[in-house]
Amino acid sequence: MSSLSFSPRIPVIDANVCVGNHYTEPSPCQSQAQLIDEMGYHGIDRAVIYHAQTEEISPTDGNRLLDDWLDEGGRLIPQWSVTPTTDSLTQIQAMHHEDRVRSVRLHNAQSAGLPFRSWGYDNLLSWLSEAGIPLWIPLMDVDPHDLITTLQAYPDLKTVLLGAHYTHALLVRPMLDSLANASLELSRYEPIGEVESLKRQFGASRLIYGSWYPRYAMGPILFYLHHTDLNEDELRMVCAGNVERILGI
Amino acid sequence: MIDGIRVIDFHGHVGRWERFGMNDNPKLMLHAMDAVGIDVSCLFHIFHPDGTTGNDLAAKFIAQHPDRFVGFAYVSPTMPERMLPELERAIDELHFRAIKLYPPYTPWPFNQTPWHPIYTFADERGLTIIFHTDHLENNRPRYLEDIAPMYPDANFVAGHSGNVPEARAEAIAAVQKYPNVYLETCSTYRMPGVIEELVEKGGKDRVLFGSDVPLMDPRPQIGKIITARISDEAKRLALGGNAERLLGI
Repeated sequence: MSSLSFSPRIPVIDANVCVGNHYTEPSPCQSQAQLIDEMGYHGIDRAVIYHAQTEEISPTDGNRLLDDWLDEGGRLIPQWSVTPTTDSLTQIQAMHHEDRVRSVRLHNAQSAGLPFRSWGYDNLLSWLSEAGIPLWIPLMDVDPHDLITTLQAYPDLKTVLLGAHYTHALLVRPMLDSLANASLELSRYEPIGEVESLKRQFGASRLIYGSWYPRYAMGPILFYLHHTDLNEDELRMVCAGNVERILGI
Repeated sequence: MIDGIRVIDFHGHVGRWERFGMNDNPKLMLHAMDAVGIDVSCLFHIFHPDGTTGNDLAAKFIAQHPDRFVGFAYVSPTMPERMLPELERAIDELHFRAIKLYPPYTPWPFNQTPWHPIYTFADERGLTIIFHTDHLENNRPRYLEDIAPMYPDANFVAGHSGNVPEARAEAIAAVQKYPNVYLETCSTYRMPGVIEELVEKGGKDRVLFGSDVPLMDPRPQIGKIITARISDEAKRLALGGNAERLLGI
């Protein structure tokens, strides 16, 4: 049952946080200290962060800016963005040699003008698969048929599918059915009863808490997860354990 | 019940919309409501322009759990000859407590003349009307400034509080100018700080919790209120106190 206040009762990693200003809109969160404060208010221990500049402007420049946001305490886990250019892949591979890459993120596979198909992304996807580096992909950025058929060619590649919305309601099940190594991040997924229903069908190991802060507030989905039929072990998996396993941390 | 407050969800639907995962299964709805302490959900059926078909379906649905659901009447100016007789029937015979209007399903912005017979009816009866509002032409919250002073004995609720920042500012401006305008909270745009803004600028006695159940699960939507940085008093009023006052329940 609810009260007028809420704190999570388990350790939490927010698997989807954006930092820095988007080129069209200043972020409501302007500093690392502000982000840490927001996490503290909502009881979030760690967060996987990427830089807003990597979304539509430059993954390589945005990745450099992300360095400024990292904290000594390790609460902020960097996620580097990638795009299928030689420079971008070289940047990520260099950081991988320094053991700095736990995951990468691919934006705008559709609107960037290169369909998400093996003939355009094989270098990247083959390398990620061989290196055991998981890939985060926003669902709104990619054609669903391309997403499924392309990722099926890389069965060892772990993926986290971001930002499913109620407009994806018919897509989510066939997508998870088709991609055994894919997990669903829950920041925008609100159709009624779906967390419990997806848990029953696919298992809690396929679901991941993320907020996509500051597009969305950190608290509501975390509150939701604490008021479902998830048992304590399942709640721990969804709120932190699954992303720890995927990131190898 | 949360902290002694009867929690009232001011925005919900009857009907199915499979492509978006909307399923008006009362078991699913009650499970989600019970998990977070929602006592009553206000429901309307907006998919039939005659009003009668949807209102009858809503009444039948509500009759299964009359202690948990309250009906709002739906009519459309696309069938003008049906509006007033159906409103009389829905209020007097089906005992619905308020009116829901959905301008996106009509050709007219909601300040235009085809809507006004409904406002006259509400004004004569002291009823509340909730509108879908957003940034699109038919649904702009700024129209509340045209109608609220013309019908001072009716109350007008900006459903979704305009959804996006520009339209939200219009909804807040209308609330600041007229005492019979209110702000309702459901939205998939769960940006941080929105609930705080509504309470701070609109006033704690003018904010109504709504979820869009069962298009959306009510748990993350009530989570927006619970996890917001607002006073407990503001939470109590948004969760139930303001709705009790408006609906007389």
